[in-house]
Amino acid sequence: MRNVILLTIDALRKDALGCYGAAPSRTPFIDSLAARAIRFDRCQSVGPYTQASFPGILTGSYYFESGLRQRQLSPQRTIVSEPLKQNGIATAGFHSNPYMCGFFGWDRGWDMFYDSMEEEVSDMVPYMLGNTINTKALEWLGAHVDRSPETPFFLWAHYMDVHEPYVPGQSYVDCVDPTLKMGQDEMFALFKSVILPRDATDPGRNGLLRKLYDAHVLEVDNYVRGFFARLDQLGLRDNTVVIITSDHGDEFGEHGGLSHDGKMISELINVPLLVVDPEIPGATVCDTVVSGIDIPQTILHLFGMDRDARFRGESLLPLDRYAVPGCYGEAIGKLTHKMKDTDQPVFFYQEEDLRIVHRVEGNSWQLYDLGTDPGQQTNTIADAPVAEEMKEKLEAKISEAGGV
Amino acid sequence: MLDESRIQELNGKIVKSKEIFLQAYDRFSVEDMRLIWSGGKDSTLVAWICLRFCEENNVAVPKAFTIDEGDAFEEIDTFLHKYAAEWNIELDWGRNEDVLKAANYTLNADVNVSDLNERNQSEIKRIGLDLEKFPFEAESFVGNHLMKTVVFNTYLEESGTKAVFQGLRWDEQPTRTKDDYVDDVPAGELTPAHTRFKPILHFTERDIWDTTRYFKIPYCPLYEQGYRSLGAKTTSNIAEAGVPAWEQDLENTVERAGRRQDKEAAMERLRKLGYM
Repeated sequence: MRNVILLTIDALRKDALGCYGAAPSRTPFIDSLAARAIRFDRCQSVGPYTQASFPGILTGSYYFESGLRQRQLSPQRTIVSEPLKQNGIATAGFHSNPYMCGFFGWDRGWDMFYDSMEEEVSDMVPYMLGNTINTKALEWLGAHVDRSPETPFFLWAHYMDVHEPYVPGQSYVDCVDPTLKMGQDEMFALFKSVILPRDATDPGRNGLLRKLYDAHVLEVDNYVRGFFARLDQLGLRDNTVVIITSDHGDEFGEHGGLSHDGKMISELINVPLLVVDPEIPGATVCDTVVSGIDIPQTILHLFGMDRDARFRGESLLPLDRYAVPGCYGEAIGKLTHKMKDTDQPVFFYQEEDLRIVHRVEGNSWQLYDLGTDPGQQTNTIADAPVAEEMKEKLEAKISEAGGV
Repeated sequence: MLDESRIQELNGKIVKSKEIFLQAYDRFSVEDMRLIWSGGKDSTLVAWICLRFCEENNVAVPKAFTIDEGDAFEEIDTFLHKYAAEWNIELDWGRNEDVLKAANYTLNADVNVSDLNERNQSEIKRIGLDLEKFPFEAESFVGNHLMKTVVFNTYLEESGTKAVFQGLRWDEQPTRTKDDYVDDVPAGELTPAHTRFKPILHFTERDIWDTTRYFKIPYCPLYEQGYRSLGAKTTSNIAEAGVPAWEQDLENTVERAGRRQDKEAAMERLRKLGYM
């Protein structure tokens, strides 16, 4: 039986990867993987920030059913690790995002779960770097292969490095812009005085933040390279499928904001998704609209397990059997880092290039045709012939997902 | 103070452990068995139960084996020497002298792989590493392998040991919950076939301390300073300074590395990321 690895990269925009068009590319290694992977060109996250998105990726559920406005994962939700472990698959998760720590209930179903919460972190780097995630994950993997080489495994590793406060090391900054010489305390000051207050008014400064972000993209590409090097050493490349995706992107002023919050915009909900399957040697491009909610069923499928009704979504594989017409997502429409009790939900539904967004606050509706308006700037809800039909579809999705 | 039902419960657990020793003595002769004795609380309890078992059944006590991974607490060395003598247990010490020498007996010093003997070089390759050099640390991936696993395997081979007693516990780590009391390990490329007996799998950390304290079993004084788990000196941390291990909140905190898995830690991280 094959193994499955899920590598997720926090806050990684789809268009930050060379294989999705970034030029110059900051992801030479991931690009090289894409050259022999299935590349999903229209993968959406089911929410624009970790709390709204990861319920899709790991529990096949939407945000509000995972525990609305609560950080605690609802005990009613099943984490994909649980049925895998019950089926005798070794399971291990390694990450450093506090929203998914054991205390909030994300440690169910793992033989090994590392959330880094016991480690000391600094203000400037408030999480463990990718090299620590690699060390922990690969030590476990090495020991697993040594101890029970016949037992298939599911390993999830999540990298935080791209996530603000953007304070990259100088060597990565040099690769992005060798003329940029900022002290780390200056970078950190931008986080406090610009990113947190969402001050996107200065395009030059937004561009600077993007450079710091890109330096981190380069950094995380390096960690992914290191991870794969070890997989090669352990001889696991030929019998392991690796899924690479992100939970959401980041904004640099395109819609008047910074970082990520409750906006259903391409910068935040367009995510990369690569499936590196050694049995499919060449590059395949899939332009069907899919979303993170399909990942748990895909993982079960890769382990030869049947569809599990506890997870929404459908297996993405085999590609020709995936027949879901569109994807849906929901979040609280907060427009800062912090969520207030008065913040109202926001929803989206997307079919091909059409994306409809509904904000409960002010009962606003927006419809975008991403084919002609990739920047998602022109709301066509008032005059597009499909507006009414899309509205009905989104309303049906909202009520099917359980409403608010 | 423990109440009567708790003492009975602990005695029941000791009886269960003795059954595991009985299985071992049924299958192996005493010369072929070893107590793996690190000097920590768990393996010390195993040794103590073994002594009682041997006395009750009028059989000889097996030899013991301890691994010096090159980064040991002096307190543990002292403890082991003292009680090995007092309990009349013959104790073998194992260390990877070749690696220690290549590291100049210095922690964090670079070890050139080409300076190592053939066995160590092939062991590094066996675990999938292609290194020219590595820093000498007992609990890194490569360090743990060379300083513990290899030493253990080499000892099994050279001493002809066929069975070992280990102080592992189910509640220690999530990965241990599948362990069985008796584990027949087949011969591997560089591992001799042997059988692992784990007589105290069913003891919780609380059981260990209640038993140790009630029966006045000796323990290394480091536990009084607040250590919960003793590994290599430089990587073991005090969980709660000045609070003896048995007085700590054993049920709601994790034994290894003084883990602080709680709300406060999560909130602090969210604050640092700007979400609070």
